Amino acid sequence: MAEVPQAGAQPALALRGLFKRFDTKVAVAGIDLDVPAGSFFGLLGPNGAGKTTTLSMAVGLLRPDQGAAFVLGHNVWADPVEAKRRLGVLPDGVRLFDRLTGTELLAYTGLLRGMNPAEVDVRARDLLDVFGLADAGRTLVVDYSAGMKKKIGLACALLHAPRLLVLDEPFEAVDPVSAALIRDILQRYVHGGGTVIFSSHVMEVVEKLCTHVAILTDGAIKAVGTLDEVRAGRDLEDAFVALVGGRTATGQELSWL
Amino acid sequence: MAVTAGAETVGAATVAPGRPPRVRDFVRLKLRLMRNGFRGQAWRVVLFVIGVLFGFWFGLLAFIGLGASGTGSPDVGFVVASLAGSAVVLGWTFFPLLFFGVDETLDPARFALLPVPPLTLARGMLAAAFCGIPAVATLFATAGLTVAAAIRFGLLEFGVAAVGVVAGLTLGVIASRAITSAFAALLRSRKVRDLAAVIIAVLASSIGPLQWLIISASDRGSLDQAVAVARVLAWTPLGAPYVVAFDAADGQWLALAARLAMTFASIGLLLFWWSRTLEPAMLGAAGSSGGRVKPAGADRSGAVASLIPRMLRGLARPTAFGAIVARESRFWWRDPRRRASLVSIVMASAVLPIVLQFTWRGGGQGAGLSGGASALAFSFAITIAGTMGGMLLANQFAFDGTAYAAHLMQKVPGRTELRARALALAVVVVPAEILVVIAVSLIAGTPELVPGGLGMLATGFGAAAASASVLSVLAAYALPENTNPFALNSGGGSAKGMLAFVAMIGTLILSTPVTAVAYLLPGAGGAVVVGVLGVAYGGLLAFVGTLIAGDLLDRRGPELLVAITPRR
Repeated sequence: MAEVPQAGAQPALALRGLFKRFDTKVAVAGIDLDVPAGSFFGLLGPNGAGKTTTLSMAVGLLRPDQGAAFVLGHNVWADPVEAKRRLGVLPDGVRLFDRLTGTELLAYTGLLRGMNPAEVDVRARDLLDVFGLADAGRTLVVDYSAGMKKKIGLACALLHAPRLLVLDEPFEAVDPVSAALIRDILQRYVHGGGTVIFSSHVMEVVEKLCTHVAILTDGAIKAVGTLDEVRAGRDLEDAFVALVGGRTATGQELSWL
Repeated sequence: MAVTAGAETVGAATVAPGRPPRVRDFVRLKLRLMRNGFRGQAWRVVLFVIGVLFGFWFGLLAFIGLGASGTGSPDVGFVVASLAGSAVVLGWTFFPLLFFGVDETLDPARFALLPVPPLTLARGMLAAAFCGIPAVATLFATAGLTVAAAIRFGLLEFGVAAVGVVAGLTLGVIASRAITSAFAALLRSRKVRDLAAVIIAVLASSIGPLQWLIISASDRGSLDQAVAVARVLAWTPLGAPYVVAFDAADGQWLALAARLAMTFASIGLLLFWWSRTLEPAMLGAAGSSGGRVKPAGADRSGAVASLIPRMLRGLARPTAFGAIVARESRFWWRDPRRRASLVSIVMASAVLPIVLQFTWRGGGQGAGLSGGASALAFSFAITIAGTMGGMLLANQFAFDGTAYAAHLMQKVPGRTELRARALALAVVVVPAEILVVIAVSLIAGTPELVPGGLGMLATGFGAAAASASVLSVLAAYALPENTNPFALNSGGGSAKGMLAFVAMIGTLILSTPVTAVAYLLPGAGGAVVVGVLGVAYGGLLAFVGTLIAGDLLDRRGPELLVAITPRR
């Protein structure tokens, strides 16, 4: 049985022995991870490394074959209500209820969480204002651009003021202006005492934002620590490639090209 | 770039012109795609085998039936050949549009980046269209006509008929592809697509009454009339290829040549038209994202107020339950897939009791049914209407797709969720069905049975809501993420869809207690009793059903999400 990690420097997110197999393929092979509270944590890895699977198991979207996940001390699978109350999630590749307008979607998310309607109104207005979505008015979310969709998704994740934000590829397919806005908001959130863990395979974003980094390949963590520890003096990209391995061009291939 | 010793080319100096793909390549591609589609999914193979068996069975029946027309009078044979052939061509043209959708295995959009001449593409896709169960089954079925020709006439006519049958099938297949391709070009705008889905749903549900009309008309017709109709059809591309054997037997070579020429000309024209509409169909997918950004309008009322429509304020408090009711009732109209299902089921559930009433009362003439039997017929018809409405909830989560993850992350209790969804559907569907009840009792001339009808409606709906809720949690399947309203829902969907049909039968059985009471207590007073009883029973069934399903949902949430996530 997995034990609850000791209080004191309680990690915002603690993963113990998460394991998931799809048919014959092992997607996640036993992950142990502590995300320190107040950190900006980056989960790096190539495509197919198991980032989305790990994060889905950590927030209660995908049932792990073995292992446990704890959000601020609460077991996500044994005590879901308490854990999910402290959690805000922006999943990857997941549709929103896109036949609603942005305002309706925020209201819906808030009411589902059992929030006070008046509070939902106030916070929704603030969020739409800050994210610059107030002008979208009566446009349905299905007609939003990719950047707007990420923004409204993030707004839904922030609505109930969670202590931990879990974002899966938040900058994917997002234009630079929206990306800059999202970055500012996330940094403000962390300075205010929240914790952010996000997955990405874009080095520059991770280097600019993160305080801690974990590198994930083939369903296992190859390196974890503060950004400087993992970099060990090199570029993050070099450290990544060295750990992950891969093929470098020798100059002899594709001679017909 | 590296230059190895002895090579003449350096880098990308010349682009070698290739030869255009042959028709064989398309057929091989389609077969390979079908084979890979089965990989790792044993149930798809099973479904395919079942489909083959079904096709073989129906093809055999038709083969025997059509072959048997070779015995009997030449007039009857002529009528059968002409009418059956026209039905085949018409069916091929319109059935994919209305019901199953066109097989999108070789989606023209995939060829957009390849240098394939349009006519080659059209011919290749036509050949690929023949590699499927429907085409083979149809060929098998219409081969019965060749046998009929052999029996009636001889070997020469057999050969001629064979040519005709193949030509007729080709005509049907290419007509269906050409028309759907032409429509697909029109349907690039999202709004037009939504509208088309609704229209198709309405048309599809009108097939029932149309069929009934045709059958009643044919009952009263005579052979001469039929021969006249058949003659007319035999001079259109619809029936022409199928009657050429008769021309050969009569020695009418000119007529034979004319008919065949007409058929081949039609095929050629359709092929040409199809190749012209293929290009916009190929490019259409890339273009529009649909809809424009609407300006901020009267959204000053606040977020929660904008979510819950004014009509529902009493019913839907600003809690999780109320929020789900509000969203679901909006989505039944705003989501095109739900809207299409909603419209077709509501239309069918409106038409069916009326048609049944007419049939049971002998088409409006005659004495009709007496007392208890009349009430029974009435109740049965209404129960079916209510049940069909409630069964819309089967596989309800798949309409949301991965958006259901939002509910998972909020940990909404299962019972609350299912009850809210059922209530939202009731709000949308029940008013229409109440009108149906009133209409049917007026047509039947028994307005005093209206309270009973409302009770039966409640029972049917409640029972269906209960079983559909359980079904939607246990046997959910993903809907394809395709915006083409004509796209075929392939694979597991049809099997689990049949499960919903079976569940409907079970639900009807569940409603028998109230139907029995309706039979035992005819008349106005009995109707009121049935009404009260029906509402109570229906409510109880719905309560219990959502209780069971809700607990299942609490345990199976993540597994349900996996089931309704479309495979990319």
